[in-house]
Amino acid sequence: MKHGRYPFILSFLALPVGLYTWLVILPFAQAFQISLTDWSGSTNSFDYIGFDNYVNLFKDERLVLPALRHTGIILVVLPVVTIALGLFFAFMLNLGGRSRQGRIEGVRGSKFHKVVYFFPQVLSVAIIGILWKQVYAPENFGGLITGAMSAVGLPAPVNGFLADKRFVLAAVIAVLVWSAVGFYLVFFSSAMASIPRDLYEAAIIDGAGRFQTFFKITLPLLWDSVQTAWIYLSIVALDVFVLVYMMTPERGGPDAASEVVGGVIWKYAFNHGEQAFASAIGVVLFFAALTLAVVSLRFGRREQIEF
Amino acid sequence: MRNPIFTRRNLFGATAAGLAATSLGACATSGSDDEADEVTVGEDAENPFGVDGSAPLDVVIFDGGFGNEYAVAHQEIYNRAFPDAEITHLATQAIAETQQPRFAEGKPCDVLDNSGAQQIPMDSLVGDGELAELTPLLDAPSYDDPNVTVRETLRDGVLEMGTFNGEVFALNYVFSAWTIWYDAKLFRDQGWTPPTTWEEMLALCPTIQAAGIAPWTYAGQHPVYLYDMLLILAGRHGGVDVLKNIDHLEPDAWRHESVVKAAEAIAALNSAGYFLEGTPGIDHIQSQTAFNERKAAFIPCGSWLPNEQAAIAPADFEYMPMGVPYFEGSVQPGLISAGGEEPFVVPKNATNLAGAYEYLRIMLSKEGAQIFGDTVQAATVVKGVELENPAAQATDQLVANPDDLFQPRFRFWYTGMSDEVKAALGALASGGSTAAEFIDRMQTVADETAADDTIEKFRHDG
Repeated sequence: MKHGRYPFILSFLALPVGLYTWLVILPFAQAFQISLTDWSGSTNSFDYIGFDNYVNLFKDERLVLPALRHTGIILVVLPVVTIALGLFFAFMLNLGGRSRQGRIEGVRGSKFHKVVYFFPQVLSVAIIGILWKQVYAPENFGGLITGAMSAVGLPAPVNGFLADKRFVLAAVIAVLVWSAVGFYLVFFSSAMASIPRDLYEAAIIDGAGRFQTFFKITLPLLWDSVQTAWIYLSIVALDVFVLVYMMTPERGGPDAASEVVGGVIWKYAFNHGEQAFASAIGVVLFFAALTLAVVSLRFGRREQIEF
Repeated sequence: MRNPIFTRRNLFGATAAGLAATSLGACATSGSDDEADEVTVGEDAENPFGVDGSAPLDVVIFDGGFGNEYAVAHQEIYNRAFPDAEITHLATQAIAETQQPRFAEGKPCDVLDNSGAQQIPMDSLVGDGELAELTPLLDAPSYDDPNVTVRETLRDGVLEMGTFNGEVFALNYVFSAWTIWYDAKLFRDQGWTPPTTWEEMLALCPTIQAAGIAPWTYAGQHPVYLYDMLLILAGRHGGVDVLKNIDHLEPDAWRHESVVKAAEAIAALNSAGYFLEGTPGIDHIQSQTAFNERKAAFIPCGSWLPNEQAAIAPADFEYMPMGVPYFEGSVQPGLISAGGEEPFVVPKNATNLAGAYEYLRIMLSKEGAQIFGDTVQAATVVKGVELENPAAQATDQLVANPDDLFQPRFRFWYTGMSDEVKAALGALASGGSTAAEFIDRMQTVADETAADDTIEKFRHDG
């Protein structure tokens, strides 16, 4: 029986691996090749120019370098804030309530809250973009936040949040967090459900408060989930293209204050007619993503706790 | 010698082995680089390009402000002459996304309306030699009269925009001018006189504000709406050569006193509080809506604006154009940014090249141009198309002197400068930078562009 096993397995793998090679690996390989040329994207001839695109890329103070910086900021802020909020809400909704007759429950109305938090997840990104563009608008153009701020006497940016270089990136990140936190709330909730209740009961008997139960029990036992969430969110953070495209002035403005790497690739490929340069940025992004995944899997590894 | 792109062998040569199992053909780009045919003008005035009546024609139309009804009507005229020709008609806003891959494959459409925000950059199409030169079309007999060439049926100055170093690569079909718009009824009711000079305009601003109206608004999120306003203001003051020098990337062209004066004037509008509050944060639809609601007195925009707003603006709103108010002492106060827009191009590798030229010739016929005028109420580049509305007639008066027509071009020639001028204008008009910083910034990018050998340079004729 054993000698027939490999052909059998291979016959199953041929199709998916073939498709994967054709649709994923080959275009990647081609991006590497294109990045070494001066191809504009709208012709069928080109010259090889070596690594010029890569050299020029790191000199591009107008688009590429700001985009790298902003994507870097999003890469740090988005996972931290989203995971922190997700964990906090999940904890409060599942375990954070007062214990009644020895039962550990979430705060009042937790089922309702879970549904509400999940709402943004079912909206398409395009809708989120349009919605928040209006929320952030200048006050006399119906901006919700600016209107509310000046109603209570706070100084609001007169041109809205998206037209202000100081706030635009934070505004985009806030939308990302808003739309992602519901999913991670549900994600962490289900992970918390698998933690045995007697651990909490024991801790409460020993006099632990909410703070201690969270940091001493919940967080360590959820470490695998947190790590997974981190990687997912990092992948989201490397993109962000659609929101920037939908919401910000000049799709990355004002004055490149919200450029992200994905948007710059798009600009070079389609607005500037420099597909080769765009490919070079894509290759850099690819290696950045790869490094990130390897590093976070390496250093995030912890001992498994059996329970 | 340029390489033919990404054939299977090429890719295998360039990348590691082991990819041999799969076909690249469908992945991205492959195709042959055939020697392109050339179209010549024959004797037959009915069919000067020798169109093969049975050959299919592939037309791609930008489905924007002008829609695509007019194109369908043009295609009917084509089919009247060539009933057997099967016409593929695609109307889309995603020009680059849908058409760029076809260029890359070497199998582009026959006629392309390369317009809108997603247009394929003209500088790269021209630089790559992907477009057919249109002189045969211009020298051909016109559709209506064999004794008049197509070129002679066109208005003055309309080929300029599609001309790259003396060669015509695009037919910009729509005639439009960039002007300042105001509501004639509002001005009449309030007893205001539309200002002709910048100083008059500044004197009127406090009066406008006293009526509870902001003097100016513009599409703050798309500062490109200020591009023609700033440049024409400078060009009127110092003469058209100031703008030509900028387009030609001359050293210190931006530091000319007229350009500095214009930049200072725009910045001063902001610091005086003459822009509608929140303007930098709004897009073109919001700014035009605010204008329709009479929240602002002036808005810079192209001549398509009244038609676009016809169904939206209040019934008693009277769109009226005026030139950018000029500085006192201006040497060329009539200068105006006007000419062809909406570039129609014919790819050099088009399958039905003769058919494409014939299609453009039909578009430029009296009937074709009138169809466009009737459907979208906008002027084409063809002479003698009558439009009813008063705004169009007023625009016609502003563009009456051919010597005063000039379209600043660097934004279309050099995409990198286009990006920079948008960002810099946005900062200038919203208080993010001073006039001096604006000038420095534009001079820097102009110098960089001039010094970059990989960028093909263009010049105005004469």
